[in-house]
Amino acid sequence: MSFIEFKNICKKYAGNDKNSVTDFNLDIEEKEFIAFVGPSGCGKSTTLRMIAGFEEITSGDLFIDGKRVNEVAPADRGISMVFQNYALYPHMTVEKNISYGLKNMKVPADEIKKKVDWAIDILGLEEYRYRKPKNLSGGQRQRVALGRAIVKDQKVFLMDEPLSNLDAKLRVSMRNEISKLHRNLGSTTIYVTHDQVEAMTMADRIVIMKDGVIQQVGKPMDLYEHPVNKFVAGFIGSPQMNFYDVKIDGRNLIFKDGNKIELPEAIAKRIAGYSEVIMGIRGEDIKFDTTNLDVYGSHQKAVIDNTEIMGNENNLYFDFGGSVTIARVSKYEVSQVGDEVEFTFMPHKMHFFDKETEQVIGAE
Amino acid sequence: MLTKKQKRNNWILTVVLLIVSLLFLFPVIWMLANSFKPDAAITADMNSMAAFIPPALNGNFFENYVSVLTNTGFVRYMCNTLFYAAILIVLGVIVNGLAGYALAKINFPFRERWLLIIMLLMIVPMETIITIHFLIIAKLGLLNTVLGYVLPMIVNPFNIFLFRQVFLGLPDDVYEAAQLDHCGPVKYFFTMVLPMSKSVVATVSVFTFLNVWNDYLWPSLVFTSSDLLTAQIGLNAITSNDNTTTGQTLAVITMVTIPVIIIYSLFSKQIVEGVISTGSKEG
Amino acid sequence: MKKRTESIMGMAFFGPALVLLTIFLFLPMILTLIFSFTDFFALNPGLTHFVGLDNYIQIFKDDVFSQAFFNTVKFVIIIVPLQGIGALVMALLINKVTHCKKYFKVAFFVPVVMSLAVVSTLWIQIYSPEGIMNAILSFFGIDAQPFINSASQALPSIAIMSAWQGMGYQMIIFLGGIQAINPALYEAAEMDHATPWQKFKDITLPELKPLCVFVLITITIGAFRMLVQPMVMTGGGPSNSTYTVVYDIYETGTVNWEIGLASTMAIVFAFFVMILTVIQTIATRDKEDQNVNKKAKKK
Repeated sequence: MSFIEFKNICKKYAGNDKNSVTDFNLDIEEKEFIAFVGPSGCGKSTTLRMIAGFEEITSGDLFIDGKRVNEVAPADRGISMVFQNYALYPHMTVEKNISYGLKNMKVPADEIKKKVDWAIDILGLEEYRYRKPKNLSGGQRQRVALGRAIVKDQKVFLMDEPLSNLDAKLRVSMRNEISKLHRNLGSTTIYVTHDQVEAMTMADRIVIMKDGVIQQVGKPMDLYEHPVNKFVAGFIGSPQMNFYDVKIDGRNLIFKDGNKIELPEAIAKRIAGYSEVIMGIRGEDIKFDTTNLDVYGSHQKAVIDNTEIMGNENNLYFDFGGSVTIARVSKYEVSQVGDEVEFTFMPHKMHFFDKETEQVIGAE
Repeated sequence: MLTKKQKRNNWILTVVLLIVSLLFLFPVIWMLANSFKPDAAITADMNSMAAFIPPALNGNFFENYVSVLTNTGFVRYMCNTLFYAAILIVLGVIVNGLAGYALAKINFPFRERWLLIIMLLMIVPMETIITIHFLIIAKLGLLNTVLGYVLPMIVNPFNIFLFRQVFLGLPDDVYEAAQLDHCGPVKYFFTMVLPMSKSVVATVSVFTFLNVWNDYLWPSLVFTSSDLLTAQIGLNAITSNDNTTTGQTLAVITMVTIPVIIIYSLFSKQIVEGVISTGSKEG
Repeated sequence: MKKRTESIMGMAFFGPALVLLTIFLFLPMILTLIFSFTDFFALNPGLTHFVGLDNYIQIFKDDVFSQAFFNTVKFVIIIVPLQGIGALVMALLINKVTHCKKYFKVAFFVPVVMSLAVVSTLWIQIYSPEGIMNAILSFFGIDAQPFINSASQALPSIAIMSAWQGMGYQMIIFLGGIQAINPALYEAAEMDHATPWQKFKDITLPELKPLCVFVLITITIGAFRMLVQPMVMTGGGPSNSTYTVVYDIYETGTVNWEIGLASTMAIVFAFFVMILTVIQTIATRDKEDQNVNKKAKKK
């Protein structure tokens, strides 16, 4: 049996006619780092709060460590949580914030001291030990919130958008620290975020949600390489995957603007029987280096109308196939706005989605 | 940038306002200055500026104060009132605070309706039901007891509403974090909600104190035994005695005023906040 | 949270207040209403009868009650402009002043924290025939006045004293309102070459208008409830000239023990005060609507 098990969990708020979370099924293994990701309102936070016990489960069963916890009070579920706005006790010092739960659990004083010292040490909070939250920076507050969660030795760690209030630079370093912390402590972690980069960089597995329904569960690279539908394909990865409505004529894809791409036999077979599909391709799978062009067949031409220089790599914008296309090229392939370029789509990197259901077609 | 003319105008305004404020406070200044004088001196000084100047420091400087403190039950009345105020602050903050918290944060049956009722109760003029309070307390056999005095004063719809407004702004996630830290709702209220809302607790406490200290009507009804009198009723008992001199009267009312002035100077921020909140509560 | 536990917790938290509210607010209100239709006499409760509207008819015929009522109205008419304008002027001046601002705020607020009993006792001395007030008047060549010892001057004297005592409270409210005015309005007026008077007339006053309504009605309600001052200073005299409605309720109820009659007066009085409060609520709701309109216009 898995460590945390969701069985047909639904959440419906009183007065809403739609479910906020529908038929959520998931098994989480011990020590796993799972990220729930999706746009706001997708039900990821609600699901997390059902695990914590702050939201009632409308129907279905939730098991933690083999025990059904639907009716168990939050404090008795063996979880600790890091909140989006930290939820520190404003009138208590850093030390008191961290030790508060242990005191209430009647842990002996010397043990509390040991644990608090340990947490303060690994989080680098020694200097701030006797400060109150209002005298701390966002990053320091975040550490206190983490400290409060880790001292309690709980088996499950819940994090609700913990980095969303930090600036971009701090977010990157905290990402790294949370990952390290997880490796050291080995507690099962469920991490909610709307930021796919956080999910991709930290999680062992990602759960993508939309409108209260799980879209796909998988390892980060699985999701990136093999999205099961257009939503997942578009949500994971930055810049976003390029999508085109195309007509199929034999082995040819016909774009809205009349451009044609001829597919290799093996790829064409995957979409046999469809007359119209959505074709998606990631920016880095559009190739410009002329030496390799011939390998992939059909050449296309376009005029660059904007460039984004990142340093390590560049994004090129151009109109193609009736929509804006973003291509990702290495820093050595410099193009200017107005340049006419020649490129090709790598056929075996194309994703095809049904026009109606938006589900993937012909995945290998 | 201030022009020269503006600077000069500012100084003129300050001086004018200074004079106005002295004129405005002349009763208070007169009270203070003459509380140190024997009646003969008060009458003699009446027609000169000396009326507003305390006498030179001498052995009899505090005579009025000393005679009031030694010959009347005044110290006792002051202590009584402080004691009642302390009880009512503690009970008032707990009872009204708990109710305000329930109305702000706990989803219980008819919560919205209770809130509306509390708001309607704020407009009931208390003078009109004070007779019935008296009858109820008499029926309960609590006349001339501290309990009888305190009971009807604990609950205060305005304070409930004030607490509710402030508690509404408390973040819910702190409550959730406390739940995970094994902190139950009652403990949460006393160890988290109240300390997090120090400002409104101070405001309510200060207004409760001023209310108890300055109240006249209710204590004059409940208490007849002189052991239990409050400062205001005691003050009336002392000053209406024909043997009390004008100087002694002034000394008594000065002493009754000292605690509120101290409270005001310590908590003027809370008082001003409380006053302004009545002005903007609708808006 | 489970719904049931939350309901129980809510009632547990609200419970103590509810019990006290029931005993000391709901019950007295209901009893007052019931007693107002009876001849309940507290010293002989056994002889209580239902008398219908007799009490209501009686108090409208009662000379003392109608005099108390007119005294109260007169008091209101004197004190409201005095206290209201005084508070506004003080607030405007203190807002403008650049030095000793804090001192002024405190100085004008001092009488507010003094109790009514203290203030009344103090002003008995001040208004006494050989008192400081007459000394000051004679300094300006004005004859000595009887103040609270004459039927014609007692009520205005008490009104002046009460305005003096209460003014600081409304001053603080006005100051809060003035400071909440967007300074950009004055800067814009400055650009438009407005004189100080124009700024006051076209910006300060219109912005403060809703607050003025609120303050005036607050003073009115407070004035209707006036009781302690005549109780301490004049005992309602001379010749009932300072006898107020609340004083009448108080004496009828707790001195004469005619609870039935006192309840009737209380009902009539409470009705009056509540109408004023409703007007206040409506007047201040207008303010909200105006704000909404302003916001809408900005968009």
